[in-house]
Amino acid sequence: MGVALEKFPAICGVLPGGSGILTTADAFINWSRKSSVWPVTFGLACCAIEMMAAYASRFDFDRLGVIPRPSPRQADLMLIAGTVSKKMADPIVQIYRQMPEPRFVISMGSCANCGGPFHDSYAVLKGVDKIIPVDVYLAGCPPRPEALYYAVLKLQEKIQQMKIGHGAGAAPQQERGSRDLGAP
Amino acid sequence: MTNERVTAQILAQFPQLEKDPSPVKDYPTLRLPDAASLLPVISHLKDSLGFSYLDMVTAVDWKGPVDPAGYVREERAHPFQAKPAAAAAAKPLPGAPYRDAFTLVYALSRFANPLKIFLKLDVPREQPRAASLARIFRTADWQEREVFDLFGIFFDGHPDLRRILTLESLQGHPLRKDYAHAEDRFDR
Repeated sequence: MGVALEKFPAICGVLPGGSGILTTADAFINWSRKSSVWPVTFGLACCAIEMMAAYASRFDFDRLGVIPRPSPRQADLMLIAGTVSKKMADPIVQIYRQMPEPRFVISMGSCANCGGPFHDSYAVLKGVDKIIPVDVYLAGCPPRPEALYYAVLKLQEKIQQMKIGHGAGAAPQQERGSRDLGAP
Repeated sequence: MTNERVTAQILAQFPQLEKDPSPVKDYPTLRLPDAASLLPVISHLKDSLGFSYLDMVTAVDWKGPVDPAGYVREERAHPFQAKPAAAAAAKPLPGAPYRDAFTLVYALSRFANPLKIFLKLDVPREQPRAASLARIFRTADWQEREVFDLFGIFFDGHPDLRRILTLESLQGHPLRKDYAHAEDRFDR
């Protein structure tokens, strides 16, 4: 944002009057969208500790506009930070459906990706992508906060490629404008 | 010395109890002969001897070695192996006290003149039942639900005996040695 403001006089000077700029709707909307990716506040297992470290002052997720929201109604991103037990699967789908579109999912750590060391367990879901669509998979057990940063930057790259004309979709399966899971 | 004194006190009151030959660490560990003596012993420990806190209720399955077929694991061909390793047949450990029973283990604490005591009760694997402690210790409610969930031991007089950790739709009780996982809607 600071960079944009520094360059603002030069950019605005192009048009008569010096206070307007020309851009595409896509570029502007995607820029604002990717600069305020608000995740819903919840963690499932030990990956959540790394997620909390990423939020806190040393790594400071606020710099990317990633500010945790206490309600899924105000959130854009769901960070699946940890092991998804089968008991937790239905609440996750419910929270996902409560989030407004466009909504994004980062699957953080081996457990959320594929079940990880608990793949053989009777109680653990073998990958959160069995119940909700995932935008970015992040490997690691657990991934460091820097890796979570990288995942958010990758998600921002993905958001930058979204086209309003195609609906809200960032992923190919989103291009129809909705990633609704068949819910009403 | 407190250990011996408390054990002697309890044994004087309930002569049918016996000292467990394999105690939990150095704690006084007593074995109950039948399920009927559970409630009187626990009530006596709480009301007369001051054991006011129920640390834990858990169980042990003494059936023979675990059947490898009970695991969810798939036998995959490993790239560095000539052929997929066959599931090792379950071999009984020599000297292991296998028997057809669950052992319920209760741990109680006393804070005045601190002491911890363990009680063990064998219940049969067929139709395992025991009296619920939920009316004596409120904390037994969830502990017994967990034991019921994972071992399938029924607690008579429990106010709300439902599964607590696993899916309501799960078939069987996962910590039983003969548990075999049935595929559910999340495994596909």
